Amino acid sequence: MSTVVVDTRGLEPPEPFERAMEALVDLKPGESIRLLLDRMPHPLLRMLDRDGYRHEAQVREDAVEILITRP
Amino acid sequence: MSANPGLAYQAPLFGVVAGLVLLLAPGALESRWTPPALALVHLIAAGFMLQVMLGALLQVLPVVAGAAMPAPARVAAVSHLVLAAGALALAWGLGRIAPHAILAGAALLAAGLLLFLAAALRALLAAPGASGASRTPRDLRYALAGLAITATFGVLLALVLSRGLALPVALPTLVDLHAGWGWLGWGGVLLAATSWVVVPMFQITPAYPARLTRHWAPAVLVALLAWTAAALSGHALPAIAAGLALLVLAALFAIATLRLQSRSRRSTPDASFRAFRLAMWAALGGLVVLLASMLTDFERLPVLAGVLVLHGAFGGAISAMLYKIVPFLTWLHLTQAGIKAPNMKKLLPDGPTRRQLQVHAASLSALSAAALLPVLAPVAGVLLVVEFGWLFANLLGAVRAGRRARG
Repeated sequence: MSTVVVDTRGLEPPEPFERAMEALVDLKPGESIRLLLDRMPHPLLRMLDRDGYRHEAQVREDAVEILITRP
Repeated sequence: MSANPGLAYQAPLFGVVAGLVLLLAPGALESRWTPPALALVHLIAAGFMLQVMLGALLQVLPVVAGAAMPAPARVAAVSHLVLAAGALALAWGLGRIAPHAILAGAALLAAGLLLFLAAALRALLAAPGASGASRTPRDLRYALAGLAITATFGVLLALVLSRGLALPVALPTLVDLHAGWGWLGWGGVLLAATSWVVVPMFQITPAYPARLTRHWAPAVLVALLAWTAAALSGHALPAIAAGLALLVLAALFAIATLRLQSRSRRSTPDASFRAFRLAMWAALGGLVVLLASMLTDFERLPVLAGVLVLHGAFGGAISAMLYKIVPFLTWLHLTQAGIKAPNMKKLLPDGPTRRQLQVHAASLSALSAAALLPVLAPVAGVLLVVEFGWLFANLLGAVRAGRRARG
């Protein structure tokens, strides 16, 4: 199972959102994305819920990290 | 504001009306107590600022706090209409010394706010407490409390002016408390709460120092409460001490923001960035003038302080933020609806944004000059009409571009 790292820190909105969406398009079942952001992406999380992705958020000192998996 | 354009994008029309008032009543800025000056302040504060700030709250809450307003479109539409009617009636009543209009305006504003607060509090109380270590949800709650207190003093003032309600407090004291809570308890705390998120996000700066975001808003509230208690109980020295503490706290916020901006990772500052920086300098200038006005009786100083704080700091910061928030939310609503959204620059192009913000800088200079030399008021009036008319056109452009993309 492979994990793609998408680091969006330091980008101006909506670029982090766009990068995440692009990575999701290429995601195959069972694969996951480790998304690094400057803040909690509430709108993205709502879209992930709606579209049935599994996600786990972790707030670190230097980033918010979201592990997104396609079931 | 594409899904819910109700409150915010029409708000600049109040600024257009304010410009017309200045044009038609050139003596408005002779002192802070002239009827047209009171009308102007309320067109900007209870009209333009209140509408934009509540509209932004409706839109910002879901993004930063993860809170969704119950039926936001309905709440926005109804409270928008009631508040707009209230602000106009109040400004008319104050400007023409019409007690019935003052009372009607205050009643409508109170009703619109109650409706909004009931919905916002429910959403905010349901919001997760610590989202990404952000202090914003907590501070938004404080700001709404500040708004409720500002409105309470406002309603009391309206009853004093229209019904002759007798209170054991001097009228100027009550006015200062109303203005102080409005400026800092509501406006300042809301601006700070939004800045904690929006400044690092859109201006690509480091985060605000955690110590500042943790303690700033509670410190402002404590100082405001101490000032209020001292002023109401007639303790002059403690009231002055608390007032000075508030000036220092406001200055701290402006200085921290300017320091962050100087460490931005942006290669070239854009128009919104520069407007926000100007707003912070205007805030510092306004605070210095306010301090000077406490030491002398020169009638022009409170007017100049009002211009710098209301139009320079709040007006400038709000415009700068609108230019980031409106296209971003339009983009977000389209994307969430599964529609291919146009590039943000297409939703709100750079050129008109930059030029409108240059007019803002010009109108701020003209208004500041007119505060000292009232004969310049008509020039400032014309510039205000252009500034706010153009802001309205630019925001409407973004809303329309969003609608076009929906087909």
